Amino acid sequence: MRQRMLEGALGAVGIVLMIAGIVAHQRALTAPPGRQASARQVVPAAPPRAFAIVDARVFDGTSVIDRATVLVESGKIKAIGPQVEVPEGFAVVNAYGKTLLPGLIDAHTHAYEDALQRAIVFGVTTEIDMFTDARFAATQRSEQARGVVTTRADLVSAGTLATAPGGHGTEYGIAIPTLTRPDEAQAFVDARVAEGSDFIKIIYDDAASYGLKLPALSRETMNAVVAAAHRRGKLVMVHVSTSQAAREAIDAGADGLAHIVADVASDKALMALMQLHHSFVVPTLTVIASSAGDTAAARVLAAEPVLSTYVSATERRTLNAAFPSRLRASHGLQNASALVGDLRRAGVPILAGTDAPNPGTAHGLSIHQELQLLVNAGLSPVEALAAATSVPAGIFKLSDRGRINVGLRADLVLVDGDPTRTITDTRRIATVWKGGVVVERPVPKATAAAPVQTHGLVSEFEADTTAAFGAGWQISTDKIMGGTSEASMRIVPGGASGSRGSLEVTGGIKPGSMYAWAGPMFFAGPTPMAPVDLSRFKSLTFWTKGDGGTYRVLMFATSLGRIPAEQTFTAGPQWREVVMPIAGFGPQVNGSDLQAFLFSGGQGQTSFRFQIDDVRFR
Amino acid sequence: MSDLRIYGLEAWTELLKVLRLPAYALPTIGFPAIFYVLFALALGGRQASGTSVGTYMLATYGAFGVMGASLFGFGVSLAIERAQGWLLLKRSMPAPPGAWIVGKLAVSLAFSLAVVVVLSTLGVLFGHVRMPLGTWVPLVAVLVAGALPFSAFGLALGYLLGPNSAPAVVNLIYLPMAFFSGMWVPIEMLPNVMKQVALCLPAYHFAQLALAIVGAGRGGPAWSHVLFLVGFTLFSVALALFAYRRDEGVTFG
Repeated sequence: MRQRMLEGALGAVGIVLMIAGIVAHQRALTAPPGRQASARQVVPAAPPRAFAIVDARVFDGTSVIDRATVLVESGKIKAIGPQVEVPEGFAVVNAYGKTLLPGLIDAHTHAYEDALQRAIVFGVTTEIDMFTDARFAATQRSEQARGVVTTRADLVSAGTLATAPGGHGTEYGIAIPTLTRPDEAQAFVDARVAEGSDFIKIIYDDAASYGLKLPALSRETMNAVVAAAHRRGKLVMVHVSTSQAAREAIDAGADGLAHIVADVASDKALMALMQLHHSFVVPTLTVIASSAGDTAAARVLAAEPVLSTYVSATERRTLNAAFPSRLRASHGLQNASALVGDLRRAGVPILAGTDAPNPGTAHGLSIHQELQLLVNAGLSPVEALAAATSVPAGIFKLSDRGRINVGLRADLVLVDGDPTRTITDTRRIATVWKGGVVVERPVPKATAAAPVQTHGLVSEFEADTTAAFGAGWQISTDKIMGGTSEASMRIVPGGASGSRGSLEVTGGIKPGSMYAWAGPMFFAGPTPMAPVDLSRFKSLTFWTKGDGGTYRVLMFATSLGRIPAEQTFTAGPQWREVVMPIAGFGPQVNGSDLQAFLFSGGQGQTSFRFQIDDVRFR
Repeated sequence: MSDLRIYGLEAWTELLKVLRLPAYALPTIGFPAIFYVLFALALGGRQASGTSVGTYMLATYGAFGVMGASLFGFGVSLAIERAQGWLLLKRSMPAPPGAWIVGKLAVSLAFSLAVVVVLSTLGVLFGHVRMPLGTWVPLVAVLVAGALPFSAFGLALGYLLGPNSAPAVVNLIYLPMAFFSGMWVPIEMLPNVMKQVALCLPAYHFAQLALAIVGAGRGGPAWSHVLFLVGFTLFSVALALFAYRRDEGVTFG
């Protein structure tokens, strides 16, 4: 009996205590946050924007730490090292297998519109701009002066460049002051300083190496601008394109070359001069490759799976775009790379720069190609990474960035893999931080090509130019690009295989335009240039006859950018069927994003005439 | 022979027994260790709350292991020994009648300590678990002390269950309770209903007490968990007394 009472009492007390425990715990859990914090002494409140990147391989701007923890607090780096403890309340980013880099610096760009927002998506947290609208630069600078802007790359800019009236730099539609005489140099530089230019950029190039002849500053004027800038304590960058001009610029005391030259493969004198003057170079191999007609690398970059997700349609187009053929430098990447290799061995500082957004480049994106080209030219991956971080930061006196060091700004890029060995791993970006804030990297919405209801027939040209689908036929000529070619089309009686009518095209291709064309253009989408998916068809077929000339079919597809692909056909005296495989337009064309095609006269055909009939996809 | 020496011998022989019959020792230490390696060290990344997965799960799998050592050490072995008539035999021995309880409690505590040491070693070596000594010592102490309430509960189960059903029933209590108490995956990842149910589970309060020490508890004062566990211990003892009385009735009544 006594035992039963003991059992009952013990059990009852036990149950009461358990309920009391539950109630106490439950009340603490549902208490308002303020009270909860006071009841919960164990975890102190997290400091603002505090996080730890742990187990990362760290490239600190100059050297590699195999495994370290980096603490970031209030936008700055608080600690770095293999033995750093993660304090309570710090969010933890596991970076095992990843490499942490300082935010990348592109040391040669032209920033406008959304360039800086785009650059940071690809890990470029600072752009050193070599010429943009001075008002644009001023706006960015005043924003940056108010505090770290975490949504875009920072801008450091030359603002307006120094060039001769009508010289390189005046062709972009921005009215800029120019100069002609040495005695105008100081006033010119002082005006730039007043505008806020962070450094002075000079064009010393008559574009002869591009087959042009543009007005250029005289050597004396260039010398005077360099001296005037140095009097105001401003660093001077000079754009040159020949080794002769490069030597003259360095001789004048220019701090850096805005491009490497490509007219020679070796220049001992230039090397010695640059060593002597402690000058540096921003090779911009990316744009040199592109201007030499080599856009393969740019295409590879745009298709790089990790990065390509973030590449916008506009960027894809500029990446795929080529320089106009007559502007193409006759000398290529080989010379430039050889010179970069020599200068590296001579100890000349090399800075990574892209010259985005020229054809074949894109803001931010292209720095990854430049890094690879620098490694190809002989830099080690670590030297290449330094060329995009600590080296430009040091030269442009950006003392708060370019390295991962205590007290510096937390502009950081975390990438998968190990770019200190495999430079292309810089493309495998996991996270970008600007001032300790994670950068949102929007994925552009794909403008998916609509499928189209068709059995393949486009037009039979029996009585008119109606088409079975799409936005119809329209004459297109190079007049929109400043050309003077002409064409017209009309339905004429008598078509292929005895049909009632066909389309006659007459016109003339006039010389004077880089891409001359004229002829009827068919828009496959419901609105002009809207892409449609015709990938289930293998070929474009039509019947033709004409004056015996060789004519072109230009195919437009979003994957091609602005530049169409073409195939040719000959229009002889008899009706003949032409079958053009879609794949014949090139490896990028698979019919899934066709915008339009165009029957055009050929280059130099000042007067042409041909008929086409029964156009269809098959 | 002094009573103290008898208790010591009882504990020592009990310990020898479980070491020589690896059916207890192996799973008791092996399962928490394997789970910890699989879920915390191999699969676990880092979690963003400031406590690494390795540390968080050292607390929860440590509690899990201690709970297993006690429930099986007491519950299952008692049920089997009872059926074998071993306890009856012991009554005729020149020893205090409750000496075997002390022996079993010693085994539970020893294996609890062993589980915690093994998991801690794994955590330090492979999970980058780093804690100041001021955190290590309380954590180990709380985990090992957790053997007490669950040993009491095991004692009750040992008297309530038959030899064949005991392993199954103990597992049916042990494994689901561990899961719903957030010992396998953090309680935050469970649905809300389960979080409410968890409040009534002793394993939950045990795990939260351990987590509070490493700074990863859900909040609330630590004494609420202690209160619950003390209550649970008393309740278990009462249950054991009741079950013992019933068992005596079956045997001698």
